[in-house]
Amino acid sequence: MRRVFALIVTVGVVSLVVSRGSPDLSAARATGLALGFALIAAALTGAFFEKIHLPRVSGYLIFGLLCGPYLGNIITRPMARDLQIVNGLAIALIALIAGLELNYARLKPRLASMTKLGVVTLLLLYATLGPLTWLSWPVLPIAPEATGAARLALSILLTTIIVSFSPTVTIAVIADTRARGPLAETVLATVVIADLVLIIVFTVAMQMVRWATGASVPGDVSLLVRLSWEIFGSLAFGALLGALFAIYLRLIGREITIALLGLCVVLSELGPLLHFEPLLAALAAGLVVENITPSGDQLKEAVERGALPVLVVFFAAAGTSLQLDALAIVGLTAAAVSAVRLIAIRGAVAVGTRVSGVPREIGDPVWMGLVSQAGVTLGLTILVASEFPTWGANVQSLMVALIALHELVGPVIFRAALARAGEIGKMDEGAPVSEQGELDAEPLHAD
Amino acid sequence: MTLASLAGRLTAGLRTRAALGMRPLTAPVIIFISLGFLIGPQVLGFLPATALAGLDVVVSIGLATLGVFIGLAVGREGMAARRLFVAASVEGCITIAIVAWAVIALLGVWQLPTNLPPVLVAMALGLCASASAAPATDSDGDAAGRVAGRVADLDDVLPIVLGGGLIVLAGPTPRSALDGALLTIVLGLAIGVAGWLLIERAEGAAERGVFIIGCLALLGGCAAYLGLSPLLTGLAAGWLWVLAPGRCDLLMAGELRKVQHPLIVLLLIATGASLEPSLAGVWLFAPYLVFRLAGKLIGGWTASRIAAGVAPSDLGSYLIPPGVIGVAFALNLNQVTHGDAGAIIFAVALGALASELMALFVTPRHGTA
Repeated sequence: MRRVFALIVTVGVVSLVVSRGSPDLSAARATGLALGFALIAAALTGAFFEKIHLPRVSGYLIFGLLCGPYLGNIITRPMARDLQIVNGLAIALIALIAGLELNYARLKPRLASMTKLGVVTLLLLYATLGPLTWLSWPVLPIAPEATGAARLALSILLTTIIVSFSPTVTIAVIADTRARGPLAETVLATVVIADLVLIIVFTVAMQMVRWATGASVPGDVSLLVRLSWEIFGSLAFGALLGALFAIYLRLIGREITIALLGLCVVLSELGPLLHFEPLLAALAAGLVVENITPSGDQLKEAVERGALPVLVVFFAAAGTSLQLDALAIVGLTAAAVSAVRLIAIRGAVAVGTRVSGVPREIGDPVWMGLVSQAGVTLGLTILVASEFPTWGANVQSLMVALIALHELVGPVIFRAALARAGEIGKMDEGAPVSEQGELDAEPLHAD
Repeated sequence: MTLASLAGRLTAGLRTRAALGMRPLTAPVIIFISLGFLIGPQVLGFLPATALAGLDVVVSIGLATLGVFIGLAVGREGMAARRLFVAASVEGCITIAIVAWAVIALLGVWQLPTNLPPVLVAMALGLCASASAAPATDSDGDAAGRVAGRVADLDDVLPIVLGGGLIVLAGPTPRSALDGALLTIVLGLAIGVAGWLLIERAEGAAERGVFIIGCLALLGGCAAYLGLSPLLTGLAAGWLWVLAPGRCDLLMAGELRKVQHPLIVLLLIATGASLEPSLAGVWLFAPYLVFRLAGKLIGGWTASRIAAGVAPSDLGSYLIPPGVIGVAFALNLNQVTHGDAGAIIFAVALGALASELMALFVTPRHGTA
């Protein structure tokens, strides 16, 4: 009851402030208001969702959706834009958590079968969704006039984007539910491996589309070189920073939260300047810290303590940017594509489980962790739309609607799978209990 | 005064401060305002103007946090020691009156062009002048220092409350000072209520951290959005958390203590980086420094009649170091006026540095006894 009252007060205060502010004068100063509102109200919504056995992440998203510019407009468009300031930091932090969860010694016995599961699943998805996309091309609202090589190249490109998964949401659900176990690890490994492969295939498909539509000549290798730099450079950059951070932990080991924020800022801000992918770099950094040094647990504690505010703001911001208007325009097509994708993922994972030798109780529910789509998919879509503005805009409309659907549904399904596997809360087993007795009444001096 | 005698006074001052357990030359105001100016757009440019604009949100939240500090301190100290609160307010009023009167008179004589109305400039300088730093005494035996410290804590309340109205007058939205100040307080109290309902019953330290950061961001964000004073929203919320039943104030104080120093450093560096030397700033600096000193000495003398435990001649000397609140208020004013208070922030920052240095010479006589 106290929480409901607090939520009412918070919503009331923010509504009052937004209604009394002058939009032209206040837009530039909306960041603090948006941050505060998102932190309190989204955290409360997330906690409520947890009580009804839904992921907190979905609560943050729903909060953003309800209060965002497309519905409640308590968080106005400039405020929603301001909330995105944490995106880079959040992605780096989330990927770092993922890296810290991938312990080679623990995964080694299952690594080969997990890789086989990921590869087989991906091949089967292409084998089913690729031909379906090609066959249904004339009815898809993208470029129905395309024929021959152009239609084939466009089908491969669209299939790649439709298949792509969301490492961010996967990791966030795992971090949020404090899940640990074979299912969480298998889903995480599958998503990471599959998205690495998908990024490479996407680059090749883009090249094919350029050639098929006459945008460039075959044999242009600059993109492949750039891609290699992005993937392997990111991994090397992240590994180097991870090693430096591990040395810091071992030799100094103080102010870990501040040092960690510094690491995430470097990964998210300096990385892109050097054309490195922050997600990959942060993943590599986490892997190095977890596997090369014995200081992983120390860092993990600091990361997990600081992750909640970042996750809350990140997903609330994502909720505010869920474009409901796109869903309204291409909703039926998006729902049909989503249903086909879901069936294909389920079937591919079932076959992959049998082929790879992953135990069925672990392998069968993996499909439930592969439903989400978010940042990677959106990133690929934006690349297409910016390079091919005519039909690329149609791809963007369809994919934004799909992302809206999958971002809402995916975490709910994945959490249900983790709950069924009994892995929720396992991360905390054996973790030290946080101290509560540190309070004292010493007066504060501001000066 | 010759160089040798100046050095002698300085040595004597440092010795006295050491005897009183007060900090010698390491006031954060001196170090970090200078550092901010050095790395700011005017000198080295490591912190360019664009980055400084990006810091606006952090500064607003920082100002609200500072207000919460004061609110928590006032809630505890003010209720327990009403006489001290009255004494601090009297001392603050006298300083404000002396500085504001002197500045407005001089502005009339000099015909100095300012971006803001002269009355507003004078009042702003008066409010900045009235805040003092609690003397950093660590000797248990210095009872006078402890009393002065409490007066210095409590004399921040008046400039924050009056400043709440002044910020509204200087801001872009047409609103009366009283309405604006009341709205600021109501917003602070409402957010305080939300925080009180949430913080104590949070499920674990991580969730509590989210609520605390959320409350501070809301306190700073609401004020910044409406062009109000984050210091006053924070003060109101902090004060409410002390009065409200439960341990909310203790939990808040425990969390804030971790960010206290980085926050003050950030505000001072932002202030230093915001400085733009100007003729108007230099002209305002001199009367600000001189009349602030006069105000503190006269105000301290008067206040010591109300607050027992410190010699009339000593209280003013203890209150000379300006601390952060005056500088923070000038920074807030500069934010609200989109840089039109550049001369004020320059005069106040320079005045803060000079006052800190002056405090080395004007030491309480108690220490030399």
